Amino acid sequence: MAKHETPLLDQLETGQWPSFVTDIKREAESRAKNERNIEYQIPADVCEDLLGVLELSFKHGRTHWKHGGIVGVFGYGGGVIGRYCDQPEQFPGVAHFHTMRVSQPAGKFYTTKYLESICDLWERRGSGITNMHGSTGDIIFLGTTTPQLEEVFYELSHNLNQDLGGSGSNLRTPSDCVGQARCEFACFDTQALCHDLTNEYQDELHRPAFPYKFKFKFDGCPNCCVASIARSDLSFIGLWRDEIRIDQEAVKAYVGGEIPPNGGAHAGRDWGAFDIQKEVIGLCPTECMRYENGKLEINNKECNHCMHCINAMPRALRVGEDRGCAMLAGAKAPILDGAQMGTLIVPFIKVEPPYTEIKETVIEPIWDWWMEEGKNRERLGELMKRQGLQRLLEVTGFAPDARMVQEPRTNPYIFWKEDEVDGGWERDINEFRKHHQR
Amino acid sequence: MAFISSGYNPGKPMENRITDIGPRHFEEFYPPVIKNNKGKWLYHEILEPGVLVHVSETGDEVYTVRVGGCRLMSVSHIREICEIADKHCDGYLRFTTRNNIEFMVDSKDKVKPLVDDLMSRKQAGGCYKFPVGGTGAGITNIVHTQGWIHCHTPATDGSGTVKATLDVMFDDFRNMRLPAQVRISMACCLNMCGAVHCSDIAILGYHRKPPMLDHEYMDKMCEIPLAVAACPTAAIKPSKVKLADGSEVKSVEVRNERCMFCGNCYTMCPSMPLADDVGDGIVLMAGGKVSNRISAPKFSKVVVGFIPNEMPRWPTMTDTIKRIVEAYAAGARKYERVGDWAERIGWERFFEKCEIDFTHHLIDDFRDPAYFTWRQTTNFKF
Amino acid sequence: MEYEEAKQKILDGLTKKLKSKSKFYFNDLSKIMGVKPREAKKVVNKMVEEGLLEYWSSGSTSMYGMPGTGKQAAAEHED
Repeated sequence: MAKHETPLLDQLETGQWPSFVTDIKREAESRAKNERNIEYQIPADVCEDLLGVLELSFKHGRTHWKHGGIVGVFGYGGGVIGRYCDQPEQFPGVAHFHTMRVSQPAGKFYTTKYLESICDLWERRGSGITNMHGSTGDIIFLGTTTPQLEEVFYELSHNLNQDLGGSGSNLRTPSDCVGQARCEFACFDTQALCHDLTNEYQDELHRPAFPYKFKFKFDGCPNCCVASIARSDLSFIGLWRDEIRIDQEAVKAYVGGEIPPNGGAHAGRDWGAFDIQKEVIGLCPTECMRYENGKLEINNKECNHCMHCINAMPRALRVGEDRGCAMLAGAKAPILDGAQMGTLIVPFIKVEPPYTEIKETVIEPIWDWWMEEGKNRERLGELMKRQGLQRLLEVTGFAPDARMVQEPRTNPYIFWKEDEVDGGWERDINEFRKHHQR
Repeated sequence: MAFISSGYNPGKPMENRITDIGPRHFEEFYPPVIKNNKGKWLYHEILEPGVLVHVSETGDEVYTVRVGGCRLMSVSHIREICEIADKHCDGYLRFTTRNNIEFMVDSKDKVKPLVDDLMSRKQAGGCYKFPVGGTGAGITNIVHTQGWIHCHTPATDGSGTVKATLDVMFDDFRNMRLPAQVRISMACCLNMCGAVHCSDIAILGYHRKPPMLDHEYMDKMCEIPLAVAACPTAAIKPSKVKLADGSEVKSVEVRNERCMFCGNCYTMCPSMPLADDVGDGIVLMAGGKVSNRISAPKFSKVVVGFIPNEMPRWPTMTDTIKRIVEAYAAGARKYERVGDWAERIGWERFFEKCEIDFTHHLIDDFRDPAYFTWRQTTNFKF
Repeated sequence: MEYEEAKQKILDGLTKKLKSKSKFYFNDLSKIMGVKPREAKKVVNKMVEEGLLEYWSSGSTSMYGMPGTGKQAAAEHED
């Protein structure tokens, strides 16, 4: 017999997609039975109270959580989000229900041994409910009491060699795509760069001194599977500068229908025979390809790296060999002044350990500028908007490049600097008056 | 329930403290076939929905079986995932950015037993525990935020709206019949801690009522200057209010017409709650993408200004999403994303095809960039 | 500036403003010390470690305050 009736939530136990309600009930049952004799450090019926309070929200159409900002682990300004239930008498098990963010490994590969150790810890010291993973990328521990925060952190750091992630005005836990670990498109080792920068900037990740949040994300190619271009203050997107590698025999095999196009992604419908003219040549945004006499030609100088032909014929076409990444800055969700995509600030940079150029000519000068000039709660992209792309280029020292704009300005209101104009701005009015009457 | 110390000494928090160690190193977690072939992959192919093969220049192959996961996951569920990975995958697995779980094996004969095992596992109510799919030109897992399970400013639920939507769209998770992939994302308030603003279809929780003011408690619970400063549109100012008993207290005044319903004041000040059963609901957005393929990445556009919260299954919302997907499936060309399709046929045609009413709420009036979203040509359709 | 001097400036500055608010952005602290953010951060980190300052987080934004001050502790039932 469940502790709370949950008639609305129970209706989410049918259908085909996995039911989170059934899953929480399963955890509630597991805690009630406690077959492993765990000494639960927070109430054993926490999951039942969680279902109870969620049912109440389904009934009321309103949340029953309050924010708490003081809770955290000593010396860290991020990694913990405080939560309190606004009906603690009815649901004492979730009266305190704080979240902890645990820094995920780059690429999100795991061994079962590691995951089980995480489960053991969180079952004993928390609700046993997680997010795999949160939006930014962390492993999320959902719900524990204030006294357990330090205990969880102590066990993570001492027994699991594992640190917390970021929140607040910090560097947020960086995240990356699967990259070269299992993708032929990746133009740099996303995991290596993600891990290196995460460790290099631990102080920035744990001890907030930025005007607002700051995100790094790493996409191995312009397909942008981790959406870095849309949601990271500094986005790293893999690119090649040389020629797309072509296997002409494989091209013929696509044309001849021996290999399904687009890696078989369209197999669920009969789209007719593969038509290389229509599906590849005709869709190339720069019209830099042709297929004649059984031979595919690409004018690589005109290619803009959109990935379409490579995606459509992955066995025939491969990214080039002179690889690195482009860097874009300033992306953010709409709050407050509207959404912003990342703006290209470095068209190409080599990605090689120890990544000195990336750190010393891009990341750190940008942070210094933003920390000094950024207003409270102003994202990098908003500072860029306020002070201009030119200002950012002065900071990084990268030369202005036509690649950095969609189009040149349509107004002529150039704020000329005095040293750009011959003779400067100091002029002699008396000399002028010799030739022009008052 | 006896308190068991981890070894932490509250009196001396810095004693033996370990900090700044970061995440575990990714190489500890690579399965051998990944470790041996990293950077050497030649090509991939989707063999059936949810099953991929990647072929290396060494001749090695890795077969990946992708299954949908609730991002909200119990440790019992994770232990079951581990049991499966131990049984079939030598104890390795990974998660994707979109909350899918990927089981990898190093030869083709191991695929079918793994898929059969995964699809045979069901929850008590009949739901699949580990549905295989989410690849290619279909609908993959919906990324989402906390909602009512854990957040203090949501305008709707996260897990509930996602479960309702994925039940309706389940066939397209298991199939690849669409013109291109359709990425659906969900954020439970406009702060979008899950950035959904570049999704083919975005489900967004939205409040429509300014905060209530608990005047009697305002100055006791909150620091008024902080509440004032929290407002991004400067709609809050300090004020003095006379209570029913005649006493005067310090409080705040909200210029309601300037409120954008973000809840930032409630975060700083618990005496300014804004959640409301009638006021809160769903905004639907469409046509965004993050890929640079063929066309540039683009933002999602608001296509439905408001849908009420209809617990537990949000039928008006899921019907509308279904209509958009079906209209897109019928009308778009191969490789064309929702946004590319809408731009090709024109947004006026999009609303017609999707049977969605166009209302004034959908015309941008927020700050300068709004002007450039209005039609400035005679190239439109009747 | 010596640590002790910077520390005292912050404690005095924050105490003076306590009547109206107890939480401050990082930038407010650098301004009180009159140094660049990178320098300010060293002082602030040390003060946190000594228990003279504590963090407050909205989840998206972080602020600093002196432990035990302000109304938030009571409102959050953590006093």
